[in-house]
Amino acid sequence: MTEARPTDPADLVAAMAAGDSGAPLSAFYAQYASTVLALLMKMLGSRAEAEEILQEVFVELWRRAPQYDSSRGSVVAWVVTVARSRALDAIRARTRRYGDGQQQFFSDRHGLGTDSGRPDVLVSSTRWHQALRQAFKRLSEDQRAVLELSYFLGMSHGQIAEALNLPVGTVKSRILAGMRALRTMLPIIHRSMRV
Amino acid sequence: MNDDKERAELLAALHAAGAASEEDEKELQALLEADPTLERVVREFQDSIAALASSFEPLETSPKTLGQIQKQIAREKGGLLSRLRSWFSRH
Repeated sequence: MTEARPTDPADLVAAMAAGDSGAPLSAFYAQYASTVLALLMKMLGSRAEAEEILQEVFVELWRRAPQYDSSRGSVVAWVVTVARSRALDAIRARTRRYGDGQQQFFSDRHGLGTDSGRPDVLVSSTRWHQALRQAFKRLSEDQRAVLELSYFLGMSHGQIAEALNLPVGTVKSRILAGMRALRTMLPIIHRSMRV
Repeated sequence: MNDDKERAELLAALHAAGAASEEDEKELQALLEADPTLERVVREFQDSIAALASSFEPLETSPKTLGQIQKQIAREKGGLLSRLRSWFSRH
């Protein structure tokens, strides 16, 4: 009888933490790579750069696997946090080199809730991705704007206030309202994380 | 909701959204130490924003990428990486 291979994301991370860079890493990559690449593309806007960072993200996830603590968050939250952090590093490096045009770039090309229509988008985009995007459309434009700037561009509430010419208190209120709205979508989110 | 809870929830939201200042982070850490149940609020917000970040249309990756990742890991195994992994496992 053959031994069952772990497919639960937490089991895959545990196997990676034990040093296995074979089948568990391949299964982990198969589960998250296309989602991570999509996030990196949204943040960076360059396919070549996103592919490069994707590689760095998965090497870092493998390195950090022993640190993963399921009591502190889901696997997908951990994966996304590492990917976001790497993308923000790349954005900051680019800003140092070329100046600050990133905010307009993101707003113009990568608004949340929009379908890209890109030829490389997987045809098999899952129903839960579609359900999530529909859910996120329930955020108001004001809420989406502050969350995009904070989460995807790494701006602090002070920087957002300056960029949008708003009082800091208003920015904080919108972030809190947006996060509360997202939290009400947790039932959909939890279903999506089981996929 | 009382002011303290409202403040704690605001700090948790700012933290999860990546918008917290250094002072906000310190205040949140102090609150977490005083009230571990706040951890659940932070986690809910983090899961929510992670779902937002993973909701974009998935993109097909290059067939070469996984192989390159495995090669890089293989190169690092036994060297500096093993020391880093050992450090991470202790902290």
